[in-house]
This record gives sequence, C-alpha cells and structure tokens, in this order.
Amino acid sequence: MVRIYEDLRAVQRRLGVVQAVVALAVAALVVYFWHLQVIRGKSLLEQAENNRTRTLPIPAPRGPLFDRKGRILAENRSSFNVVVTTERKDELAGALERLSKLVSFDPGEVREHLNTQGPRFRSVVVKADASEEDVAAVEARRLEEPEASVDVVPLRSYPLGVGLAHSLGYVGEISDRQLESGAFEGFEPGNIVGQAGVELEYNRRLMGKDGLRRLEVNSRGVEVRETTRVPPVDGPRADLTIDLDLQKAVVDAMAGQSGSVVAMDPSNGEVLAYLSTPAFDPNSFSLGIKSGEWNGLLKDEEKPLLNRPIQGGYAPGSTFKILNALAALQERVITPQTKFHCPGYLSVYNTIFRCHKEGGHGTVDMTQAIALSCNVYFYNVGIRLEIERLSRYAHMLGLAQPTGIDLPHEIPGLFQDPEWKMRTQKARWFPAETVSVAIGQAMNVTPVQLLRVAAAVANGGKLVTPHLMKAIGGKPFEYPPPKDLGFRPEVVAAVRDAMIAVVNGGTGARARLDGIQVAGKTGSAQVVTHARLETNKHAREYQPHAWFVCFAPAENPKLAMVVMVEHGTAGGTSAAPVAGQILSRYFGVKAIGPGMAPPPDNPPVEPSPAPLRVQTALPSPAVAQSQGPQ
Amino acid sequence: MPIDRRLLFNIDWGFLAAALILLGIGVATILSATFAGRNTGLEIKQLYAIGLGLVLMVIAISLDYRRLVDRAPLLYLAAVGVLVYVLFFGPKIANTRRWFMGPGGFQIQPSEFAKLVAALLVAKLFAEAKKDALGLFDVIVPGAAVGLMAALIAAEPDLGTAITLVPLFLCVAFLAGLRARAILGLFLMMIVLGGLGWMFVLKDYQKSRIYTFLDPNRDPQGAGYQKKQSEIAVGSGGVVGKGYKKGTQSQLGYLPARHTDFIFSVLAEEEGFVGVVAVLGLYMFVLWRAFETAQMARDRVGAFLAAGIAGILSFQVIYNVAMVAGLVPVKGLPLPLMSYGGSSVLSSLVAVGLILNVRMRRFVN
Repeated sequence: MVRIYEDLRAVQRRLGVVQAVVALAVAALVVYFWHLQVIRGKSLLEQAENNRTRTLPIPAPRGPLFDRKGRILAENRSSFNVVVTTERKDELAGALERLSKLVSFDPGEVREHLNTQGPRFRSVVVKADASEEDVAAVEARRLEEPEASVDVVPLRSYPLGVGLAHSLGYVGEISDRQLESGAFEGFEPGNIVGQAGVELEYNRRLMGKDGLRRLEVNSRGVEVRETTRVPPVDGPRADLTIDLDLQKAVVDAMAGQSGSVVAMDPSNGEVLAYLSTPAFDPNSFSLGIKSGEWNGLLKDEEKPLLNRPIQGGYAPGSTFKILNALAALQERVITPQTKFHCPGYLSVYNTIFRCHKEGGHGTVDMTQAIALSCNVYFYNVGIRLEIERLSRYAHMLGLAQPTGIDLPHEIPGLFQDPEWKMRTQKARWFPAETVSVAIGQAMNVTPVQLLRVAAAVANGGKLVTPHLMKAIGGKPFEYPPPKDLGFRPEVVAAVRDAMIAVVNGGTGARARLDGIQVAGKTGSAQVVTHARLETNKHAREYQPHAWFVCFAPAENPKLAMVVMVEHGTAGGTSAAPVAGQILSRYFGVKAIGPGMAPPPDNPPVEPSPAPLRVQTALPSPAVAQSQGPQ
Repeated sequence: MPIDRRLLFNIDWGFLAAALILLGIGVATILSATFAGRNTGLEIKQLYAIGLGLVLMVIAISLDYRRLVDRAPLLYLAAVGVLVYVLFFGPKIANTRRWFMGPGGFQIQPSEFAKLVAALLVAKLFAEAKKDALGLFDVIVPGAAVGLMAALIAAEPDLGTAITLVPLFLCVAFLAGLRARAILGLFLMMIVLGGLGWMFVLKDYQKSRIYTFLDPNRDPQGAGYQKKQSEIAVGSGGVVGKGYKKGTQSQLGYLPARHTDFIFSVLAEEEGFVGVVAVLGLYMFVLWRAFETAQMARDRVGAFLAAGIAGILSFQVIYNVAMVAGLVPVKGLPLPLMSYGGSSVLSSLVAVGLILNVRMRRFVN
C-alpha cells in the first residue's frame, strides 16, 4: 500500500500564527497578574483586611392573620435581640464571658444553640426579646464590646395563644433538615419560617421579602459604615375563615378536657372554629423554644403536639350509623319504616353481638334506632348491605383518605374491608367482621373526616373541602365546589330527621337548644377490650372516647360541628353537653338539655328525660321538618 | 477494538501527566474553597468524576480519530437532538435549562460535550474542502452547523459555552485557508449579529453583567461585587500567597462560585503569584503540546481536530483567567481541568484523549 501524505505545510504555517497568539495572550495574563499581585498586592491586601463586608438580612414581618370578621389572630411586634458576632469562633467564648456581665443570659443555652448551628458560624442571638435595660447596656458599650450588638426583629405573637395553636401553627428558625428539603429551596440559615398549621401551609405566601444591610467592618468586626440598605417588604395580610367568638366559646367549653372540636359552614367547608386540646403556646416558639420546654411537650402523655382533628385516628363508633343509614336508604336495603327487633343482642355467624342496652330496645324502626343508637338494628342493616357497599359509601363520604384541609401532615385514616385485609394481612374477610364495621368498629377516622359526613347530611348530600384560608393579600382563595354525591333528597331528609330525634329525646338530648332545632349523633369509641375495662372500670385511660357530631339549625344549617372528648366515656354524657354549650353561645339562645346549667336569672329546668317522641307515630320526613323543638 | 500495542509507545506521557497534575491541583483547591462551607465533600465527587473521565479518555484514545470524524455528522445530529430536548424538557435549575437528567438523578450538561462534537464536525467539513484558499461561501455549511449549535446552547441560556464555539470555528477556518478578507467579513457579520442579539436575545442579567464590567461601581452588590471581590482576592495573594486554606476572601465566603468558575482566584489568593505562574506554565505546556500535535498530524483531519480542540481549551483558559483578574465580563465559563463540575471534567478528559489519539496515530496508516 502506498502511503500518501498530504501536503500540510500551509496548515502548519498558519498553526504557527495561532500558537503565537495563544502564547502572547498567556504572557499578557502573566504580566497582568504581576501587576495585580506584586505591584498592587499591598494595597489590595489592605482592602481584603480592612474592607471586609458583611451582609446582614433585615427580616421582613410575616403577613398578619385575621379572623373572618377582621379581628387579629396573629401579628408582629418589634423586639430586640442581643447578638454576638465574631469573625472567628475561638473569640466567641471571651466575648460571651464579657457580655454576661452586662446582660443576664444563660451561656449554656447559647452554647447548645451554637452546636446545632453548623460550621457556617456568623452571629448568635444570646438574648431574644431583650429588655430596654439590656439594650441600653449593650448600646452604651459599643466601643469596648464591638462583638455585641442589638438587632430589631419582628416577633410573631398570637393573642389567643393556646386556643389556636394547632390551626395557626407557629413559626421558628428554619432547621437544617428543612434547608436541605425541596420545600424550602432558596431559604437561608436563620430564616424564620412557619413550622406548623396555617403558618407552614402558606409559609411562602405569608413571608415578606427580607431586606438587607451590607456593612463594611474592620478586622475586629466593628462596623465601619453601612454601604447598602434594601428595606424589607412586609408579608401580605391573610384572612382566615375562623370566627374568633365561636373559637373562644369552643375553648371555654373544652376547658380541662382532651380532644377536638371543629366547626364549619356545611355549605362551603369554611372552618369556623378549630381546637385540639391540650395544646402548646405558639408564642413560646416565636422566641426560640427552650429545649426543656420542648422536651416536656414531646414527652407529655397527653400529646399536646398532636393535631387531633386531622392526626387523631379513632373508631367512629355509633356516629358511623349515619353513614350506614345513608348507604342502606340509598341502596333501598331499608326504608325509614323498616323495623327490626332488638332483644339486646344478635346471634349470627356463631357469635353473639351485643347491644349496649342489656334488655334490648324492642322492635324499632330506623329513626328510633338512630335516636337510641341501637346496635342490633344496624347489625342487621350492615349484614344486608354487605361489606362491599359499606366500603364504597365510606370511601365516597371521604373516609380512609385525607380531607384536603389546608393544614399540613393530615393522616388518611383507615377503613378495613376485604381488599384492605387481603393487601395487608393476606387473609380472607369473614362475614362476622362486617357486623363490627356496621357500628363503626374496625376503622380509624379523624374528627374532620367525621365532620365532613355530618356536613353532607346538613347540606343535602354534598362533600365539602374543609379549609381555613379565605384570602391572602385581599385576593380570595378558590376551592373546589362541594361535590354532589347523588343521594336522593328523601334519603338525606330521613337521616336528618333521625338526627333531630337524637337530640329530641334520644341519646344526644343534652345538646338541645331553646328555639333552634339541633340535629346530632352520639358515639363512643372503645379504647380497650371489654375484659380489660372490667379490670379497672374507673381508670380514665380505659374510658371510651366520646363523640358528638351535629348541625344546626336543622332546617337550614349554618354550622356543622364535631366534638370529640378523649376518654369521655359516652357521647351523650360528655360530648353532647360541650356541643350544647358551644351552640348556645354561638346562636345566643339557651341550652335546655337535661342537666345543662340554666342561665342564673331563670329557674332551673326540670331535668326530665322526656319520653321518646318518636316512639309513637313515626314522623314522616316532611312532618318532622315542620315540627318545632319541643 | 483492541488497541495496537505499538501505539502505546507513541502516547504523549508528558502531556497526560501535566493534565493529571492540573486535575490534582484543582481537587486540592476545591477542598480549600469548600471545606468550611455548608456544602462539603465536593472534592470527593470531583475525584469520582475524574475516575469516570479517565475511563472515557481511554475510550477516546482507542477509537481511531479518523473513524470518529467520519461519524461526525451522526454525532452532530444526536447532539443537536439532545440540546433541543434539554431546551424543552430539561429540568429548570436557577432559571436555565442546561441539564440532562440521566437515570438515578445523574445530571450532565450536554453543551460541554456538544463543543467536542462540533470540533469533530468542523474538522471533517474543512478537511473535505481541499482548496488552498477559502472564501466566505466555502464556510457557509460549517458556519451554519456550528451557528445552530451555538444558538441552541445560547438559548439555555449558557452564553459562555456558546461563545467557545466561535474560536473553534475561526481557528479551524483560518488553518483551512480562509482569506484575511473573509475573516474580516465574518467579524463584521458577528458584530451585526451581536448588536441584534443585544437588542433581542440577551437577558437582563447578561446585559447587567456587561454594563457592570464597563463600570464596576454601577452595581457593587451584584455582578460588580463578584468582580471586585475576585480582584481583591487575587491581588491580596501577593507574591507567595496567604497559604493553603488560609485565604480570607475565599474562607469568609466573599467569593461567589469560588469552587467552580472562580477556582483560579482561590488559587491566586492562597498560592500567590508564584502559584499563578506555575499553574499557567502547566496550562501553557498542555496547550503547546496540543498545538504541537496538530503540527505533527499525518493528515488535515487530524491537524484540524487537534487544533480545534486546542483552540477551545486555549480560549477557555485565557478567558477564565482574564475574568478572574477582572479583565473581561463575568461569564459562566469553567476553567478546564480545575473547576468543580462533573460535565466539565468529563469533557476536558475526553478532549485530552482526542489529542492523544491524533498524536499517537501520526505514523500509522
């Protein structure tokens, strides 16, 4: 093979030109670096030493929160922080030591905070929300103690404190874990962000835009001058759906008890009151919570950090009979007139299922069965409906899925059905299990999920999305419209009438109001087995949880509410009175249920448990609606 | 394809060693620039990238460069496809679409590899035009091909990488015999296009960088701040520097992008003029050997390929170092071999491999 070499001489000549250009450019760079580093080196070194700039953020106040009538729920007040700033961490101990003679603070706590701060050390707050004396002491010694300075920061404050802790949430310094997560992209260490509730859910929109100050400081860290100041932009105001009056009534009614109360407008899902108790004081987080206080909250057996209305999963107990009845009526398994006999138990599938009333309720129809909360009646209904249809209606009414409320970390709850059992336990469903499901066992629901079911009865069969935010910056929020579930009007009316009967002579009599018709349903959820309860009948932690769901006025509901009292024993005796007290304050009428405290200027109402009105002729849906309260 | 063992004797070991030393200095400087910050452990990631890069380099050596150049049109189509894909479907990071998501969250910047594909294509097209003198009409096809690629990269936007294609094209066109008059014409065209681009294409932040360059006091907090701090860092290093890991400008965090585009200013601050001369000397050696490879190449294709890649590397080194010294506007252009960044390391090592490839096949048919 003949090798043919191309004639590359022209190319090589031109390559020489390119090489020369490159060599010249690099040589020019070397000369320029000589100029910069050797000739101007001294003066630039001085600039590096003396001309150190420091950028400090000016925190923007978060948007204030208002209730639905424009009353303040969360605001910002100016507070003073004493801050120590040093260039080097090893100088810090001395600075803290000297400062401790001027201002009283806990050096141990500061050190603890420093250890969690990571390597990017800049400044540390030694005293948050300092007094005027402290501020004066530090400012007067600016020259001797250049490391110490005073920052003015907006401090979040919540006038109602504990009462709105779980709905509004709280704010605090961003954690390292949050900094690394995608949700907080673009945030800086030291930023104050929402840590729970509405503050977290709407964090970005509530935050303003921090301003900044760029300072020139000398090598000791003393500020020489401010070179730039970009003022912060305040966060926009936010209007919530909360009604402060109602919220206060709820707080008062639940005083001393553990549990949840959530009230909402059943027509659109606007949450009017939201309480989880016991709670914490969100104001103590604004200052940076002390570790002792935090650990106390974590270890408290009453779980004050648990947001019960959306994170507490409980068996709905008898309140589930509402759902059972809706399904059975819609599927034409029963009519309101269908009767079953209750001898106090039902023997089926080789098991004896008991009613809560030992001697039985006798022969009852659906309205009576709901009013008296007869288990045997609904065992029978459930067996005829079968688990598939029960499960379908439960899911349709929003169980076993988040409600979509605008609060973080909602749990979905749980509904046991054959599909669930096969998936989680790889086992077949037994028909006997359907019997438990029929009276609200074998499932976990949150109070807000149950509230949605009650609201669906109140609004004629529509599922609403509960929410707390009305508008941010004056711009109203849009929510999906209530979803019509397709119930026939007479189905919803029959269940509503039965719920009216619950309050008028049934198990929920203590929620009765003077002049306003209330519809409700009681329930209790066992927390331990029957045998265990027998071992210590009066131990508080063995008592069942008490439920009461309701809406009023029954003919034209303005308010739907769920009350859950943990270990309240029975819905009728502990949850219904709470509801009665709240409703009476909200509507401004007297609570006239048996045993309810009468207004001081009136003679006590006779505590007569009034014979069951519905025992006689069954009120047809239309008639029941027109009947006023007794 | 097993590599001919005779070829190994012709590998330019000096060139390879210099490149590896620069990579090593880069890793050490990255460690110094980041060990005190929030984001640590980057030097380890850089070492992984170098490991993978060496594998790619060996592949780039073992395939005969003439076969590679023959497949340049196919590679070009693939590269354009990926660039278009990135533009529309790439993840948006810091307001740009430069990244290609690989499996397992692995991200690469296709533009870094596109410039090497452009070098292959330009070598092929100019080598086929076997004339001694080229006019403007002879460069329309390669010009349009490179221009399209540059436009796609500029649209990401990544102006720095897009502009590296210009010296590549001019360098090879000049070697291929483009007349002086034609070069002048090209310059005029670029000025007109640049003017149009200023009016219709450049984003505000890019304009502000150019304004700031012209008048650093205009915006001492933004882009001007970066330039000024870098100048202070470099200057304060003096003759012998402040010592490894002791640069106040870098350690106190005044220098933005100090482990990526501004790595050289960390080196200048901590190692001083002595370090600058040593590292620039190493770069000069690498570039010189690359151009020498072009001189020795057995055919026009090899000469153009080696010279094109050498042109890209020269431009990046000179521009980046000038930027660190505050001589030219700040552009997102990494320093080859030293800057932190997986895509940059991989493409730099593939470039090294291609140069070695041309050099060791200079005798063999």
